[in-house]
Amino acid sequence: MAVIVAVVVTAIVGILGAGALLLDRRPPAPAGEQNGMNRHLAVAAILWVIFTALSLAGAVAMDPFPTGAAPEAAFSDHAFRLMTYMGAPILGLVLAGLVYSVLTFRSVGGADAEDGPPMKGTGMVPKVWLGATTALAVTVMVSPGLTGLAEMRADRTSDMTIKMTGQRWSWTADYPGGITSDELVLPVNKRVKFEVTAPEGDVLHSFWVPAFRNKIDAVPGMTTVTYITPNRIGDGKDDVAYRVQCAELCGLMHARMAMNVRVVDAAEYDKWLAGKVKK
Amino acid sequence: MPLLLGFIFGGVGFAVGAGLLGAIRTSMGLEFWSTDMSWSIAYPVALLGWLAGVGGWKYWATEWFGGTPAVSPKGVSRYFEFNMDHKVIGIQYGVTFVALFLLSGLTAMAIRYELMHPGMQLFNEDQYNAAMSFHGIGMVAVAVAIVMGCFGNYVVPIMIGARDMAFPRINALSFWLVPPVAITLVIAVLLGGWDTGWTAYPPLSVLTKSGQTLFNLAVTTFGVVSILGGINFIVTIIYERAPGMTWGRLPIMVWGTFAGSIIAFFFTQGFAAGLLMVLFDRVIGTSFFGAAHGGSALLYEHVFWFYSHPAVYVMVLPAFGAVLEVLSHMSRKPLYAYKWVVGAMLGIVALSGVVWAHHMFTSGMADYLHAPFLVLTEMISIPTGIIFLSVLGTIWAGRLWVRTPMLFALAFIFNFTIGGLTGIYLADMPTDVHLHDTYFVVAHFHYTIMGGEIFALFAALYYWFPKMTGREFNETLGKIHFFIMFIGFQLTFIPMFQVGVRGMNRRIADFPAAYEGANVWISMSGFLLGISFIFFTVNMILSWVRGRQAAANPWGASTLEWQISSPPPEHNFDEIPVIQEGPYEYGVPGATPHARLTGAVKHA
Repeated sequence: MAVIVAVVVTAIVGILGAGALLLDRRPPAPAGEQNGMNRHLAVAAILWVIFTALSLAGAVAMDPFPTGAAPEAAFSDHAFRLMTYMGAPILGLVLAGLVYSVLTFRSVGGADAEDGPPMKGTGMVPKVWLGATTALAVTVMVSPGLTGLAEMRADRTSDMTIKMTGQRWSWTADYPGGITSDELVLPVNKRVKFEVTAPEGDVLHSFWVPAFRNKIDAVPGMTTVTYITPNRIGDGKDDVAYRVQCAELCGLMHARMAMNVRVVDAAEYDKWLAGKVKK
Repeated sequence: MPLLLGFIFGGVGFAVGAGLLGAIRTSMGLEFWSTDMSWSIAYPVALLGWLAGVGGWKYWATEWFGGTPAVSPKGVSRYFEFNMDHKVIGIQYGVTFVALFLLSGLTAMAIRYELMHPGMQLFNEDQYNAAMSFHGIGMVAVAVAIVMGCFGNYVVPIMIGARDMAFPRINALSFWLVPPVAITLVIAVLLGGWDTGWTAYPPLSVLTKSGQTLFNLAVTTFGVVSILGGINFIVTIIYERAPGMTWGRLPIMVWGTFAGSIIAFFFTQGFAAGLLMVLFDRVIGTSFFGAAHGGSALLYEHVFWFYSHPAVYVMVLPAFGAVLEVLSHMSRKPLYAYKWVVGAMLGIVALSGVVWAHHMFTSGMADYLHAPFLVLTEMISIPTGIIFLSVLGTIWAGRLWVRTPMLFALAFIFNFTIGGLTGIYLADMPTDVHLHDTYFVVAHFHYTIMGGEIFALFAALYYWFPKMTGREFNETLGKIHFFIMFIGFQLTFIPMFQVGVRGMNRRIADFPAAYEGANVWISMSGFLLGISFIFFTVNMILSWVRGRQAAANPWGASTLEWQISSPPPEHNFDEIPVIQEGPYEYGVPGATPHARLTGAVKHA
């Protein structure tokens, strides 16, 4: 899907861009010079395709993500990839223009060097460019932007609620039934509503589990909410993506304000909970 | 001598302010000294003493009270005191901020040493926070002020055919407020620092140690510098243009400075207000931000970003101007789509004021704010795209003279593309909720501000160096500086995107061992990047002291500053020039020269 989008975007931008450059109204030039310019454009266009293809190949091959342990994570990574694909033709265009110009249009220079052709960009090019970039920007706004935002908010149901409190410099997880823990243990495939806060008189913190790709600040005197459905069993002892990391500068021990996260199966969760209740 | 006097008067002012407060406090049965309050009262008095000492009295204020103002000396000593010549002030800004840049850069080296391995190496957590915070505010101050302060002051008045800025005294005043800012920040660090970064978010900034008070005082002062500078540029560019210098003939550097100044003038007040509110919460017991007494921490984030996002355009708009200037003259081509670029710059100014809350997608602000700020933020890519069109159209088919300034300008294009594209991930909610406050953000803003603005700064610095100093710089050292800096920069910041996505958050003194490999690489590359500035510094000092005499117009450029001697005479022009054509008429058959320098109306 994403690859198709990328190819379509590349094609559209390519056609618009090449058309725009050819449409540019320049002062009439000698026939030879005009042919030369067309050849320059053709080679640069090929370079553009090559750079775009290379960037796309890189984007397809890359896997920069930490472990994803929730549908929310897959959703975020998908948006990340989509934007990388859409960025590839733009990066390709700039690289092609830059590299080709530097290689081809260099001169020995000097204060009295000859002038280049007086292209002022008063013709169609800027208008076409404006149209193309606006179309691209609107595309990104709509998807993954606004549609993504809507999707993130779509499901406000949950199977359980955990209250997360950030205080300088530790986290506390409050489970239903008055159970308090300094480790975040979550049953797999259960949708959890996190109510995040900080005590009055404390400072800002931010609740972030890299494996869930989600983050919400803990604000003194306020409760913020986020939803996660963990879907992959894991333990912060083996994988740093499973940790609650404070992601808002909170003073002296900010770097160390982390809490272990464990996603476990239902049986193990019940066992853990029972152990907590006994204490 | 005036510098020494400045320090003495500043010290006396501090003592007077603190003493008066102490006397009042003692009479009320309180302790004589109360750190936060004493500093807050003594600091402004010290500031007045400093200004009087460095020449504000001798050259300016005395006249108001019936005295005769002193005449400024001609030699090197004029750079070390209150002077109203825009060219002197430009160099004062340039040297001061390059020094601050190098100092904040050294701090970055220490930070990279600390972050090379897990565990604590060089610092403890407290010292790390202080270093990180100082690096942050030091570099932000440099980025906000260096292009406009140095080249805006030096070059813009000449470019528009003026003899000075509209308000030379205010110009001098705003520069001389800068050293106290830098000195106060350094003193704050020496006294133990502060730990809120450059953003000073409450409630932490209200609760934390007293270094924060010095930060707030210094940075509020810096806000005053920015606002005064902004007014001065706006008025100068509107009213001091030479005959025939229509808005459509303004060199793009002037437009960039104008656009940046509008933002500095209108928005900086928000930041200053936020900092004063924090100071009031700290010192006089108000509760703007304390939840316990009805305050809101989110309030500050809104006020802060209402300035601090536009601030990045205060940084890059003059930088766009400088880069486009260099690209046009050194490609010997008209600036491509000039009027579109002007429109884009003003479009950025307009949009800059309505995008701030994209810094707050994870802050807990109301949900309905997310969608509009997402859309508005991504709209900024449209005018920015026009700038890229101009950049590519200008170098295309040109006669590229690839000297050091051109190299930096070309590198700017690449870096800013990466910076711009990665910004989209942060404007989009689904990715931002993961990437916010990670090293991805660190890499992104270093690509825009350092890869963008600072590369533009060096383009401008090498480009105008012959004009400002009257000397040629060493091309070989310049190219060595460029290549080491460019390569070091890429190697340092590309991996930061990766380690950020992987889950390393920013502003941390220590990190999980899993990220060690990446951090070793980043630190090594960072040191390479640091080494490049040795070549830069050596080049600048040697060339300035003993470089060859520069020609009036070594680049063969068309704008006004190159039509007069290097360095320019005291009042720039014997006669006010007449502008007859746009500044970028390269290759246009039969074009008249941009300006006529003689036979014009005599200056009144």
